[in-house]
Amino acid sequence: MDNNKNKTVKNFIIKVEEVSKTFHTKGRKPVVALKQVTLQVEEGEVLVIIGPSGSGKSTLLRTLNGLETVDAGHIWIDNVDITRKETNLNQIRQKVGMVFQQFNLFEHKTALANLTLPQTAVLKTSSGKAEATAMALLNKVGLEGMERSYPSQLSGGQQQRVAIARSLVMKPQIMLFDEVTSALDPEAVRGILELMESLAHQGMTMVVVTHEMGFARRAGDRIIFMDGGEILEEGTPQIFFDNPQHPRAQFFLSQVL
Amino acid sequence: MNFLLEFYNYRILAEYIPQFYEGLCTTLKISFVALFGSLAIGTVFACLRLAPNPILWRLAASYVQAIRSTPLLVQIYIIYFALPEIPLLDRRLNELEGGILALALNAGAYMSEIIRAGIQSVARGQVEGAMSLGMTYIQRMRHVVLPQALARVVPPLLGQTAILIKDSSLVSFIGVSELFSAGVTVMTERLIPTEAFVTVALGYLVIYLVLLWASNWAQRRLAGP
Repeated sequence: MDNNKNKTVKNFIIKVEEVSKTFHTKGRKPVVALKQVTLQVEEGEVLVIIGPSGSGKSTLLRTLNGLETVDAGHIWIDNVDITRKETNLNQIRQKVGMVFQQFNLFEHKTALANLTLPQTAVLKTSSGKAEATAMALLNKVGLEGMERSYPSQLSGGQQQRVAIARSLVMKPQIMLFDEVTSALDPEAVRGILELMESLAHQGMTMVVVTHEMGFARRAGDRIIFMDGGEILEEGTPQIFFDNPQHPRAQFFLSQVL
Repeated sequence: MNFLLEFYNYRILAEYIPQFYEGLCTTLKISFVALFGSLAIGTVFACLRLAPNPILWRLAASYVQAIRSTPLLVQIYIIYFALPEIPLLDRRLNELEGGILALALNAGAYMSEIIRAGIQSVARGQVEGAMSLGMTYIQRMRHVVLPQALARVVPPLLGQTAILIKDSSLVSFIGVSELFSAGVTVMTERLIPTEAFVTVALGYLVIYLVLLWASNWAQRRLAGP
């Protein structure tokens, strides 16, 4: 291992250094999603990324567990450079849970099986132990009695609870949330946000892409505002919401608040 | 009942019940083994066809083209007559093994195209969900993508299986005694083509109906609600 490099990033569980990414689609103009983005996240910190759609915030989030590759720059997760070809991304992803806008539950499996499969397949847990862990987590997210239901039989809010519980079975050190309430009705949104806040209170390191400004203000330790693939502003919720500096951040906040 | 004898002489046929029974069993055996062989071949080649490596997917595509562009009877003859000694067996394939292998390779090519379409129909989000949990490519395929893909393509796979069972009659050309050849025997010995081949046809129909029931069961098991 490269010890010199590791010392400098020791305090940060996530470190992103000058990451760039451009999407090339045949017959279309290339889209620059990330322009030399640099940021760090401390252990236990809740980082909220906001910005208009197409600003690159989801792309940035997806690079953190290698769902999106980068063209240039480096990303360290728990002192491992995940942009190196030699890095086993599947091992990294066990430490970095992710929750999606569209839930992405396994449609052919019950809620319970959605939680046991990653344990038995990836962690090689025995099925009895996996089931006990799964039941405990389903209860924790408020889904007692729903374990035999298939995703299509659950409401959006319930599906998202299953998805959060499914990420938690891997006992991740970091959780990534990609606009997880955007596909939900207002009542379900509140429930999911409360669940996320309780996770934050338990000390989970979280990176959250969201349009929920109330959540960002309440639960965020730090806000990042992105537009055009760049981080334009960064600060505590108070400073950011009460006194935004960048004109585009001011404009964005005037639109959403 | 005697008027029936004019159309369908069941008294003569009754003498041939053992032949028909043996033939039906052999057809079932050939089809059953070839079906599982072709599903395995089809699944592997469907995955290869979707591999990012151009050598792999070109290989899979060429295999499908080669099978599609040549008659099954020729493929059976090539495998049975032209294949040399198999190193592990220390002998050449017998007619039953050669016939089953040819049928499995043939149906496998068509099934790989069906399964490929099924795999491509599984939403990207299913794969990303599995990836985000640290599942390897093989784990994602085995536990997430293939069960959903196969459930969706059970109806076209059933159609291909029906073709496989009917095509199994062609192995009688290399000397396997199966259902169709039982009919040929009745025809040549007693010259009653209607009875001979209508009985054979009914045999295939019965197999198909059992299969239809099995496919409905499989679809329910794989897909969930």
